[in-house]
Amino acid sequence: MNRFDLLNKIQNILRDNLVICNIGLPSQELYKINDQPNFFYMLGSMGLSSSIGLGLSLSQTKQVISIDGDGSVLMNMNTLATIGNRAPSNYTLLIIDNGSYGSTGDQRTFTDENTSLKDVALGAGCKKVIECSGEETLNELSKAIEDKNNSYVIISKINSGNVKIDPIPLNPITIRDRFRKFIGIVKYL
Amino acid sequence: MKISKKIIDNLKKGGVDFYLSVPCKLLANMIDILENDKDVYYSAVPREEEGMGICAGAFLGNKFPCIMMQNTGIGNSVNAIVSLLQLYQMPVVFLISYRGTPGEPVGAQGGMAKITEDILETLRIPMLHCSSENDLDKITTFSKHAKVIESPVAILCDFNLMKDDT
Repeated sequence: MNRFDLLNKIQNILRDNLVICNIGLPSQELYKINDQPNFFYMLGSMGLSSSIGLGLSLSQTKQVISIDGDGSVLMNMNTLATIGNRAPSNYTLLIIDNGSYGSTGDQRTFTDENTSLKDVALGAGCKKVIECSGEETLNELSKAIEDKNNSYVIISKINSGNVKIDPIPLNPITIRDRFRKFIGIVKYL
Repeated sequence: MKISKKIIDNLKKGGVDFYLSVPCKLLANMIDILENDKDVYYSAVPREEEGMGICAGAFLGNKFPCIMMQNTGIGNSVNAIVSLLQLYQMPVVFLISYRGTPGEPVGAQGGMAKITEDILETLRIPMLHCSSENDLDKITTFSKHAKVIESPVAILCDFNLMKDDT
């Protein structure tokens, strides 16, 4: 199972929640699979999907799923400490861990060598940390969303590999405003 | 404490209701005030760039965020400012303790101080430079301006303004 297969498999649960999606191929694949106004596609700022989702979950009550990658979490690893100390129960971080920098040509990341993001997350203070296969991810994500008392970090171990895909045609303000309209903030659209 | 209280009061009057900080001793009083304020959210964060991401999410969730940091934090955050906050036109107030300005005892702070305003100018971020207590009266209007122009703005508080605020 690669990232595209995984996003396909979990699309129904994503559709019902606020989703922050990582820059590059993850956003492009999600857009192609099933574009929704409640998907915030990152067009820049690699590393910050987990942080954007955290700020969103602290600011309103709907469930938030941050879709991140192993390379991106390695770039902003302090985020796990902030999540471990501050994440509210409406927050889930889904790290799609394929051991590679998928958007830049599948160069290996350190999770393909010695680094365990599960161990890092636990050490950083995250309480509910699940490492699972791609096949198990839908079930684990469902359980995390249904649990109203805890935030979760789910590390989905999948294979590297990408599908050929186009850049997202939406401009950033469109992404911003339709997302905020879905939450009920923007009224003018 | 008087200066710090005035800064926070004026930010709150401008609608700012979500605060993060990467601590600085010049921000310590403001952090104390915010930690005891039940009307607003406050948390420390480990790194400014990460804080920019959290502020972006808070804006999406209808908060008006402020990140408090030393001017060194701008250096840590340039890409997040440009390709997140500015790309999506998100209002965020940067409240910056301007280390390395006259009165600063640590010589090494001078390097970032020399280029802080150049960086902010290059980023086209509006600046409010506070060197006296009277300047603090402009904070409320300046914060509201961030929402009007849908852009980050920067408030720079000089070392000498903050150092005796005990």
